[in-house]
Amino acid sequence: MMVVLVVAVVYSVIGVWLFARGAVRLIVQVRKGSPSPGRLLPVGRRIGATITEILSHRRFTTRPVAKVAHWCVMVSFVLLVPTLAAAYAQIVDAHAELPIVGGWAPWQWAVELFSWAGLAGIIALIIIRLRFSEHDPEPAAAQDWRSRFYGSTRWQAWFVEAVIAAVILCVLAMTACRNALLRQDPATAAAGSWVHFPTTYWLGSMVMSQPGHVLELSVGWFAFAKIMISMTWMGVVGAGITMSVAWHRFLSILNVYARRELDGTPALGAAAPMLVDGKPFDIRQIDDLAADATFGVNTITDFGWKGLLDFASCSECGRCQDVCPAWNTGKPLSPKLFTLALRDHAAATLGPAASKTPATAVSPHSDDLLTALARAGAAGSDDSANRGGQLIGPVINPEVLWACTTCGACTVQCPVDIEHVDHILDLRRGQVMTSAQFPEEFGGMFSNLEQRANPWGQPARKRLDWTRGLDFTVPVVGRDVADLSQVDYLFYVGCAGAFDERAGKTTRAVAELLHTAGVTFAILGKAESCCGDPARRAGNEATYQELAVANIEQLHQLGADKILVTCPHCLNTLSNEYAQLGAHFNLVHHTQLLNRLVREHRLELAPPDPGEAAPITYHDPCYLGRHNGEYEAPRELLGAAVVPGGADLLEMAHSGPTSMCCGGGGGRMWTEEKIGTRINTTRMGEATATGATTLATGCPYCSIMLGDAASSDEAAPEVRDVALMVLDSVHRAQNKHLAAASAATPSTDTD
Amino acid sequence: MRIIVAVKYVPDTAEEIGFDADHRLVRDADSGLLSELDEYAVEQALRLRDQLPDSTVTAVAIGPDDATAALRKALQMGADDATLIVDDQVAGSDVFATAGLLAAAVQSFSDAGALVCGMASTDAGTSAVPVLVAARLGWAGLTHASTISVAGQEITIGRTDETGTRTATAGLPVVLSVTDQTDEPRYPSFKDVLAAKRKKIAELDVDDLDVDPATVGAAAARVQVGAIARNPDRVAGRTLTDTDGSTAGELVAFLAETVH
Repeated sequence: MMVVLVVAVVYSVIGVWLFARGAVRLIVQVRKGSPSPGRLLPVGRRIGATITEILSHRRFTTRPVAKVAHWCVMVSFVLLVPTLAAAYAQIVDAHAELPIVGGWAPWQWAVELFSWAGLAGIIALIIIRLRFSEHDPEPAAAQDWRSRFYGSTRWQAWFVEAVIAAVILCVLAMTACRNALLRQDPATAAAGSWVHFPTTYWLGSMVMSQPGHVLELSVGWFAFAKIMISMTWMGVVGAGITMSVAWHRFLSILNVYARRELDGTPALGAAAPMLVDGKPFDIRQIDDLAADATFGVNTITDFGWKGLLDFASCSECGRCQDVCPAWNTGKPLSPKLFTLALRDHAAATLGPAASKTPATAVSPHSDDLLTALARAGAAGSDDSANRGGQLIGPVINPEVLWACTTCGACTVQCPVDIEHVDHILDLRRGQVMTSAQFPEEFGGMFSNLEQRANPWGQPARKRLDWTRGLDFTVPVVGRDVADLSQVDYLFYVGCAGAFDERAGKTTRAVAELLHTAGVTFAILGKAESCCGDPARRAGNEATYQELAVANIEQLHQLGADKILVTCPHCLNTLSNEYAQLGAHFNLVHHTQLLNRLVREHRLELAPPDPGEAAPITYHDPCYLGRHNGEYEAPRELLGAAVVPGGADLLEMAHSGPTSMCCGGGGGRMWTEEKIGTRINTTRMGEATATGATTLATGCPYCSIMLGDAASSDEAAPEVRDVALMVLDSVHRAQNKHLAAASAATPSTDTD
Repeated sequence: MRIIVAVKYVPDTAEEIGFDADHRLVRDADSGLLSELDEYAVEQALRLRDQLPDSTVTAVAIGPDDATAALRKALQMGADDATLIVDDQVAGSDVFATAGLLAAAVQSFSDAGALVCGMASTDAGTSAVPVLVAARLGWAGLTHASTISVAGQEITIGRTDETGTRTATAGLPVVLSVTDQTDEPRYPSFKDVLAAKRKKIAELDVDDLDVDPATVGAAAARVQVGAIARNPDRVAGRTLTDTDGSTAGELVAFLAETVH
């Protein structure tokens, strides 16, 4: 067996060398990215957060079976690495043990337990992949290629999973043989008792009848097989640095360490600042910019190193693809395919292959990925995607870039903390600010924002139109109240709330409810401007900051602190994004404030009469739910306003963190949806399927988009803001009091 | 060769429009902008520059200091330089005086070879200035172009209206006016915006242009505005509903009343 050991050692040296070379190449490649400031410090907190996140698997937010299975495989991988070291000795000496812990019962228990758990886990993962995997690379029916694994490189996944299963089987087989060997010799029988082999003792019994030399030989060969399989894996993975299904074992640890949010939340809410030479862009200091400065991401090295690490870490699990509203309505965007296309492009242009590969060489993508990109209409214009230079066009199809609604469903799902939305925005910034290339409709929206401070191009005087006909005066700051210290809240109405008819109803309802509850508030009136969200999500950071800086100056002058909004986009921008410009306000969404007022009994609600109660469903706005973590307040409010009357609050197939976007975010409100089916009608289909007759929501964009979908479908539920349902409930309570009052004084007429 | 594009700084038509005591439009409103129709002229001037060798684009505006905003926008879109004709004596000028000033401005550039204008201003809307300038300069006037093509030193336009499309060709130098059927004006990238900040805007007055002050301003205007009245607000129509003809009398009475 000495020869076998030599073969194993030589093979291992090659495997480890290839693996180390791959690791060095990845490090070199990732370091070619632009700065990602603040992603390495503070070390202690980041290490703590990394350990917590990995051990708890808390970013696996759905699919509990896959979560447990993956956890078992992960722990078994770590635990079984030392047994690989022992295997070299066991080739020549079947009785060899790891020093110190080798014969220690708790260690043996752990190895056994996680061998079985890892085996069960990998079998579960293989079954899951088989169930969802796409066998036909060019399926006829559109539904068939909606598997989350579609576009993932199949042989790599099977290879990785088969290696895990085979290694664990080797470990178990070796354990059985070694158990039998120990028990055959009375001197070592105690060490072979079930105390040391609690779950493999029975396997040992099965091979007890074999002669000792056969068992010794078997241990040697199983150890050899284990080493050869493991080292084959090391070599294959090391040679293919784009094999991220394997590399994620190591890179995801670094990626989680360098995550954007230290508190463990996904990279949502505020968009990451646009960096110019590693520093956040500030419109107030543009005179300091170099004449040849470029903006956003134009080429692969414009991404921060964390971006390049993101792409290299993708495990191809496809959870993002599974929930993407664009992908699910037949658009070419899949967050996974987007990530993989950039991963392969980075490897082809930044790695050692770059200098050797002629520009006409074959694509760096696997066949599975190439097929998926082509099938989805997502392929770039450069077939080989291995030339440096502009990303949009050659590598990423523009239709992919502009299809994103920035809903964040992908980012919430990603177990390895890839920051999809920030990358999309950085590419959009490059397109808008450096190249002036964007969907035609955005040109009008940008001009409207610049000239009239709202995306619809409405004149400012119309911002007060919604106040007409109210039986109380809505105070305007500067006209009716001198400054905001005299009122409880600044009501920042928002452009949709002021100019859109449907959203205007919400604005009126909120004003009426505040008036009823005795909450004082004032509005900015004609002086209000767009918060800047549509510009920022469309990649126009300059116009966003022009608006933001002017707004901040005005809000500070007026002494604004507590600000009420009905639009989650305003909420996100004023509270999370103005903070990046040094301004801090206390924002509250109307569903949060109304819920508080109901809890404090400042608003009295009456549920519908039992006969009138109808089932409702609630649509989570992306920028209230996923981006700002508020799922409960609107539901609690609906629970108080409608449900006690017997109406059911039904949940759609996708709700809460996996809620499906209305299709209006990311500037998509202003662009035509020309490819695939419409997102709003697809979402409305989910609402209709619940059997609800009313769809409640808390965002003007959602109201507009879903309202449009409902208007062309008679079976669809009516779309109403939560505020309107609360107002109905308050009116019912008021009417009951009036009726009771008139019933209590029936004789007044006859006097 | 220099391509000159005439741009006008106009009040935002979406906002309230004000007039002063002399019935003149108040031009120092906060919300002024480059006339949207002139953005098409800038776009076509830039496209001409691409097709005519060794040419540059100069944006010219007549107006108060605020009008630099319109020129700045033209520079952001890609004009090479800009000149503002600013002079208190010019206030209140009519189309003839404006055309005279523009013609003088064009002549002040010895290498001027084409003048591109929008089809009309969004405030006064006369559409008269381009042809008047052409007449003053003695250049060909190709107006209301919806398409423009260049072949050597000849420019051909298509002019489309409800009856069909006419094509007209003229050799340089030429005055062009373009409609909003031409290519969508480009949106400047932020790089272009930054580059425009570094460009200077030249200023000229009536003396610089050798224009007789007696021919410009309100005093020289050939038309005096007597009064300005706002259109009455639209009122909601009346709806008569019946199924048996019982409102016929009311309808007849309404029609009779309206006609008289």
